[in-house]
Amino acid sequence: MHPVIRLVNRNLTISLNKGFLIWQVIFPLIYIFVAGFAYTALIDFVPLGNKMLDYPAYIASGMIGFNIMNSTLVSGIIIWNDRRHGMFEQILVGPFTRAHYILSNVYTIGIIGLISAALITAVGYPLFFKSIEFNLLTIPLLVFASVVGSILFGSIASIISTRLKSSEGFNVVINTVFLFFAFVSTAFYPAEGTPEPLSTAFYFNPLTYLVDVVRAGIFGNFNALLAIEILVLAMLSLILFVIATKLLAKLEL
Amino acid sequence: MSCIVANSLSKSYGQIIAVDGIDLSVNSGKIFGFLGPNGAGKTTTIKLLTTLIPPTRGTINILGTDATQHPLEVRKKIGVVLQQPSYEPTLSVEKSLEKYGMMWNVERKTRKDRVEELLSSFNLEEIRNIKNEDLSIGQRRRVQVAREFMHDMKLLFLDEPTVGLDPSARRGLLDFIKKKVKEGLTVFFTTHILNEAEYICDEIAIINKGKIIAIDTPEKLKNKFGKEKTIKIHIQETHTILSNLLLGIKDYELDFNSGTNITIRSNYSEEVLLKILQILTANNIQIEDLSVVPTSLEEIFLTVVKNSNASSN
Repeated sequence: MHPVIRLVNRNLTISLNKGFLIWQVIFPLIYIFVAGFAYTALIDFVPLGNKMLDYPAYIASGMIGFNIMNSTLVSGIIIWNDRRHGMFEQILVGPFTRAHYILSNVYTIGIIGLISAALITAVGYPLFFKSIEFNLLTIPLLVFASVVGSILFGSIASIISTRLKSSEGFNVVINTVFLFFAFVSTAFYPAEGTPEPLSTAFYFNPLTYLVDVVRAGIFGNFNALLAIEILVLAMLSLILFVIATKLLAKLEL
Repeated sequence: MSCIVANSLSKSYGQIIAVDGIDLSVNSGKIFGFLGPNGAGKTTTIKLLTTLIPPTRGTINILGTDATQHPLEVRKKIGVVLQQPSYEPTLSVEKSLEKYGMMWNVERKTRKDRVEELLSSFNLEEIRNIKNEDLSIGQRRRVQVAREFMHDMKLLFLDEPTVGLDPSARRGLLDFIKKKVKEGLTVFFTTHILNEAEYICDEIAIINKGKIIAIDTPEKLKNKFGKEKTIKIHIQETHTILSNLLLGIKDYELDFNSGTNITIRSNYSEEVLLKILQILTANNIQIEDLSVVPTSLEEIFLTVVKNSNASSN
């Protein structure tokens, strides 16, 4: 078995435990079925291209992107946990190189992102199946969003993991980053209708781009902005991936 | 055949020289002890030899392979138990052994058999289903050392492997290592517990301030540096005039708390003993006990390091 695959096996074993999988399903379920229906009184329908989506369908599709971010932030913590529990050095005195380690993290993050997206798509399907438009364009968009989104947020978590040593600092930074990404985005509510500074801030958040691409992949709403969002996501994930890789390669032992 | 050959090996961190031009040669099928005070360069040396960090200067050859040119090839043939604890917190003892074997590409059937063997050899059967994060420090250390035997290796580096272990676990580990060495393994072993080194090592190197200051078998080190002997005399009663009586005699200590213990430390301890016995007899001072403390590796170590510090000052 190739060293990278062996490391991915190990990473998935330590990441995909029962608690993680249940949390990946329960947390979005609460948002979709509790917040989704509770906020219907405030947000009736959301315009999306030539469709009018009911709010539960809107939030269910947003939760796919949210869950990709959530799960890959968690899996990006693998590096921090490995440093904390001595496994980073232990792996590097084994039959592996740093490149193997970095690649295995990327693949792990991508797999977890795909699993999370699939889980939430399955859970949220009853809410948005009426408006679904799957075709040769939309399915690749969904795969693109899952993989690129995973790499983007996984790289952010990896960068944070290499920079911080204390548990307190790490938890504060990760939670602050998580909160900003989660709530200053179009995952839960549309940008239109929000105050100007906030709607501008939405578009400084990569999660906004991710959920917009996911929604385009589910509902088929293509526009000029979508092409820009795809490009921005791809560029950002590449830049962050390179930064994360360089930081990992230079991590002192 | 030499398993480890290092020539002029050095490692600097800016102005700090952690390892300063050491030469090492470790033969196959031996247990090589590497001793030194805190901060002497032991762990840095192990990190260099295991390719975890590159040297600033010098060459390293491990099992016939240039470690600086082909580090991955070297790592495929060695095992390493680092000083720092390493464990998978959420995995059970059994699962973490099994996963580690998988990481080393050990076949499934072999993995299963080895897990059972190691659980038994390291007394881990009762805790096999407990998660590593719920174990004590000593238990985790046993798991960490046991884990390294999941894969085949010709050379094993152990950096203070017995830290946190109780005496029986410590002895069990040392005996396991001895057994594996008889089967062909070579071991490079660092420890602070000198009677461990005395018990297990075929050859010992002592490092201080980044330089090797002594290297030989334990017996030869004792013969070379262990001329000083320790003799203890316990007398029956306190005599206030004792210190006056022994004036002019060098190389002895009187324990003033009890006033009844005289300790002689000297390269000429027999002569000093004779003089003290003559004085005690002449003054009718009764001797209750007389004992000779054999020279220990700890004393050799302290002597060698002290001489090294003195000469470098």
